[in-house]
Amino acid sequence: MNDFFSQTIWLVPLYSLSGALFTLPWSPGIIRQTGPRPAGYISTVMTVIGLVHSLLALRVTVQQPVKYLSFDWLHAANLDIAFELEVSTITVSALVLILGLNFLAKIYAIGYMEMDWGWARFYSMLALFEGGMCTLVLCNSLFFSYVVLEILTLGTYLLIGLWFNQSLVVTGARDAFLTKRVGDLILLMGVVALLPLAGTWNYTELGEWAKTANLSPGVANLLCLALIAGPLGKCAQFPLHLWLDEAMEGPMPATILRNTVVVSTGAWVLIKLQPVLALSPLALSTMIGIGSVTAIGAGLIAIAQIDIKRSLSYSVSAYMGLVFIAVGTQQDDTALRLLFTYAIAMSLLVMSIGSVVLNTITQDLTQYGGLWSRRPISGLAFLVGAAAMVACPPFGCFWILTEMADNLWHTHPTLVGVLLIVNGLTAFSLTREFSLIFGGKPKPMTVRSPEGLWALVLPMTFGMGFALHVPILLDKWNLLPGWENLNFAVATLLVISTFIGAGAAAYIYLTDKIAKPIQLKHKAVQDFFAYDLYTAQIYRVTIIFAVGLVSQIVYWFDRYLVDGVINLFGLATIFSGESLKYNVSGQTQFYFLSILLGVILFVGVICFPFLAQLSVNPVF
Amino acid sequence: MQLEFFLLLAAALFCIGIYGLITSRNAVRVLMSIELMLNGVNLNLVGFSNFLDHTNIRGQVFSVFVITVAAAEAAVGLAIVLAIYRNRETIDMEQFNLLKW
Repeated sequence: MNDFFSQTIWLVPLYSLSGALFTLPWSPGIIRQTGPRPAGYISTVMTVIGLVHSLLALRVTVQQPVKYLSFDWLHAANLDIAFELEVSTITVSALVLILGLNFLAKIYAIGYMEMDWGWARFYSMLALFEGGMCTLVLCNSLFFSYVVLEILTLGTYLLIGLWFNQSLVVTGARDAFLTKRVGDLILLMGVVALLPLAGTWNYTELGEWAKTANLSPGVANLLCLALIAGPLGKCAQFPLHLWLDEAMEGPMPATILRNTVVVSTGAWVLIKLQPVLALSPLALSTMIGIGSVTAIGAGLIAIAQIDIKRSLSYSVSAYMGLVFIAVGTQQDDTALRLLFTYAIAMSLLVMSIGSVVLNTITQDLTQYGGLWSRRPISGLAFLVGAAAMVACPPFGCFWILTEMADNLWHTHPTLVGVLLIVNGLTAFSLTREFSLIFGGKPKPMTVRSPEGLWALVLPMTFGMGFALHVPILLDKWNLLPGWENLNFAVATLLVISTFIGAGAAAYIYLTDKIAKPIQLKHKAVQDFFAYDLYTAQIYRVTIIFAVGLVSQIVYWFDRYLVDGVINLFGLATIFSGESLKYNVSGQTQFYFLSILLGVILFVGVICFPFLAQLSVNPVF
Repeated sequence: MQLEFFLLLAAALFCIGIYGLITSRNAVRVLMSIELMLNGVNLNLVGFSNFLDHTNIRGQVFSVFVITVAAAEAAVGLAIVLAIYRNRETIDMEQFNLLKW
């Protein structure tokens, strides 16, 4: 009985996928009478079933060694592709995390999507995501990871494009699809190139292979860079980060998932591929470089945003950058733990601001103010989320960031600096958001802003409780360093950076000493970060311009040269027919002449050899 | 060497016929030119039968047939010319260019 749940763990994605199917009948075009609400309830129930199943399975797997399941998918000539699953504590815990967050987000959506008719589409997309992510964490094969990543890319497109009558939603969904697609396609090159080299796509076997693999540096570099490109796009790292900003046009409950777990799908694949990536020092330093640049850049951009959702989305990019740094410095366990603590903290932040946005309408930070007295639960949730996200001692991310900084302390001291800066910047931006929303005087938009419905508050408080328990959980799982192992220098530095960031933001935004809205001396710098480094313009003048130009040239070539040559044949035929018909002159004598000329020509051709002989050897 | 003279004369006659056939505007004159050509052919046939086929004179038999057929052809040709004339009231070849492109 115990084994039953871990043996049938592959059912968990199927629950979600069947939930995706069962919700569809409540699309407004199919069941026209009852309204869309049953779709949400069914989908939530399926999530609960999956959650219970994976919790039961987790109890068993904790005590057991890692198990592998395998299903044959394709046999063709010399290629055997099997759908391989790994049932380990890590994968099943990830299942629990994903399903738990999905459960919270779905309850949240019941409140948030109250005034919306598109529940069937929304919930089936959420369930598709849930199933996709569960499959991704379970599957132990790079090939199927890629398959799932691509399906999730399509899912992102559809989910962001939920309210497709808004033009910004349409462009945002387009950019999210194309940007993630580019990364995925380069990942595909890596995946395809890996098979002849390693002979397998199984992560475990890839790890074994990577230990003894002897690749030439060029091959290893190219392969590993291609493998990085997929997660680079998925995790919204520079320079493929603009999609996450535009993806904030989608509905808020989906944002909870996107900001916490969906962007982590790329990081998951990256962590799984870490042994292979370690083959190429260049790839590792690229990862560190990209991660650092993204983390600092996105940290700065997050501070300069006035849209609350976008401000949080850049913190997502920054933390994914930290994950990149962790993987780049070969701390995959730390990276996994960071994903765990970060996901819980970020879900809490997004849920909190979602509840504020729903009842305050605006998303503009400059329009907010003075909500603390009337929105205590949302405010507390935001505070706990912020504390759990940055290095604030008892909370989750503090331990992980300390562990990471500790590991970097001797090998990469500069990266500790990056970590401190990112932590400080994130603390600054989160405190700034908190101060602007909850502190200060009420503004016209926030004069009347009641606390949300139970369906919004319940998952928020659940998440808050969970975030508060994360340190205890880490302790129970023996993931916390002991006091004697704790690097106090690093921990102190991190805490100091947090307090400098948070304190500076609180001083600037909670006192009246500095005029709001804040203008930097250099307007250009402020704009530079507020318009996220003008990335949209950079895309427009580089890649979009180049692709557009090439496609116009190709179109012109196709339209005028290729088509033209073929049309020329047709035209020439028409023209010759039109002109040759004048040979039929209607004059009988002209026909006689033609016959005569034809006969003369024919006779001339037939007799030519004879006549030629005559002239050469005269018989006379 | 006498055969060549016959043949040259026949060829000249034939060419004159061709010239008349292509340039005449009068339909009857076209028929006359065709007769000239046929007679050129007959001259050829008789010449060949005399110089190359003394015993069997098959060329002469041929020319008898040609004369017969030419007579029938001329009759039918004149009938056609008459039929056209009845409708169009002219026998000018230049006026008979209705069946063009």
